[in-house]
Amino acid sequence: MTAVMDFVLPAELAARAPAEHRGVPRDGVRLLVSRGTAGSVSNHVFGELPALLRPGDLLVVNTSGTLPAAVAIDDRLTVHFSTPLADGSWLIEFRHHNAAGTSPESLTRPAGSALRLPGGAVLTLAHPVTGRLWQARLSTAVVPYLLRYGKPIRYSYVGRDWDLADYQTVFARVPGSAEMPSASRPFTAQVVTELASRGVLISPVTLHTGVSSLEEGEDPYPEPFDLPPATARLVNHVRWEGGRVIAAGTTVVRALESCVDRDGLVRAGSGWTSHVVTPATGVRAVDGLLTGLHEPRSSHLRMLEAFAGPDLLNRCYQEAIRARYLWHEFGDVHLMLP
Amino acid sequence: MNNQIALVTGASRGLGLALASALVREGYSLIIDARDGDALAKAVAEIGGQVIAVPGDITDPRHRAALNAAVDAAGGLDLLVNNAGTLGAHPLPALAEYPVGELRTAFEVNVIAPVALTQLLLPALRVRGGAVLNITSDAAIEAYAGWGGYGAAKAALEQASNVLAAEELTIRVWWADPGDLRTRMHQQAFPGQDISDRPLPAAVMPGFLRLIRDRLPNGRYRAAELA
Repeated sequence: MTAVMDFVLPAELAARAPAEHRGVPRDGVRLLVSRGTAGSVSNHVFGELPALLRPGDLLVVNTSGTLPAAVAIDDRLTVHFSTPLADGSWLIEFRHHNAAGTSPESLTRPAGSALRLPGGAVLTLAHPVTGRLWQARLSTAVVPYLLRYGKPIRYSYVGRDWDLADYQTVFARVPGSAEMPSASRPFTAQVVTELASRGVLISPVTLHTGVSSLEEGEDPYPEPFDLPPATARLVNHVRWEGGRVIAAGTTVVRALESCVDRDGLVRAGSGWTSHVVTPATGVRAVDGLLTGLHEPRSSHLRMLEAFAGPDLLNRCYQEAIRARYLWHEFGDVHLMLP
Repeated sequence: MNNQIALVTGASRGLGLALASALVREGYSLIIDARDGDALAKAVAEIGGQVIAVPGDITDPRHRAALNAAVDAAGGLDLLVNNAGTLGAHPLPALAEYPVGELRTAFEVNVIAPVALTQLLLPALRVRGGAVLNITSDAAIEAYAGWGGYGAAKAALEQASNVLAAEELTIRVWWADPGDLRTRMHQQAFPGQDISDRPLPAAVMPGFLRLIRDRLPNGRYRAAELA
């Protein structure tokens, strides 16, 4: 396995609040643009995106909506619902909560134990899946329960709770992600209109993303996705015609790359994907990626390296730190073009 | 080529038979059922392709378990079509005179049985990101005199579909109204009348196939508007 890019992220570069609560419109966050062929790195504002793409390019977006996936069990303990499993149980994570946010729980619990949640629901623990995640079953349907009793997952770098609406992208249609598919957060109706007017195509996939609090070296676990037939046909058509397929978010890359056949064509599909994009697997159906800025040593950086290669990616992150870009779900974004 | 597997209930005649035939032409492997074993055997011959027939009554839990076992044996499930249904009492009585026993049967066949079968098959559907297609009727949302038993049961099936769609993240849930068709059930609703002006079930297959092929979003559809 190749080494994952490492760097020191200064604490003040965490976006602590949504852009519009920092005095910047959603589409006013900054946009770092890197171009693989030119080897260039440049600084922009997100609103310039329509001018940076070409007519006939296809932007594939994730229509997964953010769930209020955190449920407070008592004054100290919160449970995060991450990912549904085929038998109806869910991957969950326990977090200690405090005024600053939450931190992982290291307590060990006996399998089979049950916790009472607000509203009388009962959460029964089946077995641990990783050091932090449990497979568990709730006594009622999870999504409607969360919509009634949950609130958005928040980590300690975000200063306070924000409304669920602050965690929805303009493309959100199907609630199901434990955390916001945040690469699409800067899109506004105005930007989408400008893209359409310039001839940039937009097509949907759905991938419900789980909690991002992975440990170092931990691979992303399987996530439910849906790649509709119309999107598959359009991806193949655009690439055949010489256009570029740009994924809005690592979730979109995962969904598309999970559905590439031997001939390099994308096929419609749905279910769970455990595909992980790395420099070794390469990228076969996607030409560019719009994404946030990722934490040091995170597994997402291996996907980014598959697009840009280690040298250009290093230069991007050096520039982002030098130019004081903001990290995390409310932060700035990065467009990686071929 | 299509390695997908579909289960169609009530496939021995009418809309169910047309759906089964259309799905086989799409390349699906099929599991079908119906109460009438002879009619089911004829249907298998007519449908052609790869079809497993499991005769039985959808309200019988042992029959539902047999269908689940057939799905296991087939290796999974991509599409469940809950088509089997009953008109209830006919000729269609007003609610004032509706025999309560027949009303109970209408709910048993049109609501409880499809929900129970869906419960059994959900794990298989989730794994493949499959879909549930529940056949409904405009009688579920319009007030037609005489259609109170059937209409109330179909309304219950529609709301069960609606809630299932909210609960299940990884599958599609559709409930679709095929419209008035030239079928035995429709003839039962209009005894002695000439219903030859109604289209045959084959006429609405393009709409259903579009729904399935393009994995349209969860929700209520009218076959006539899909084509």
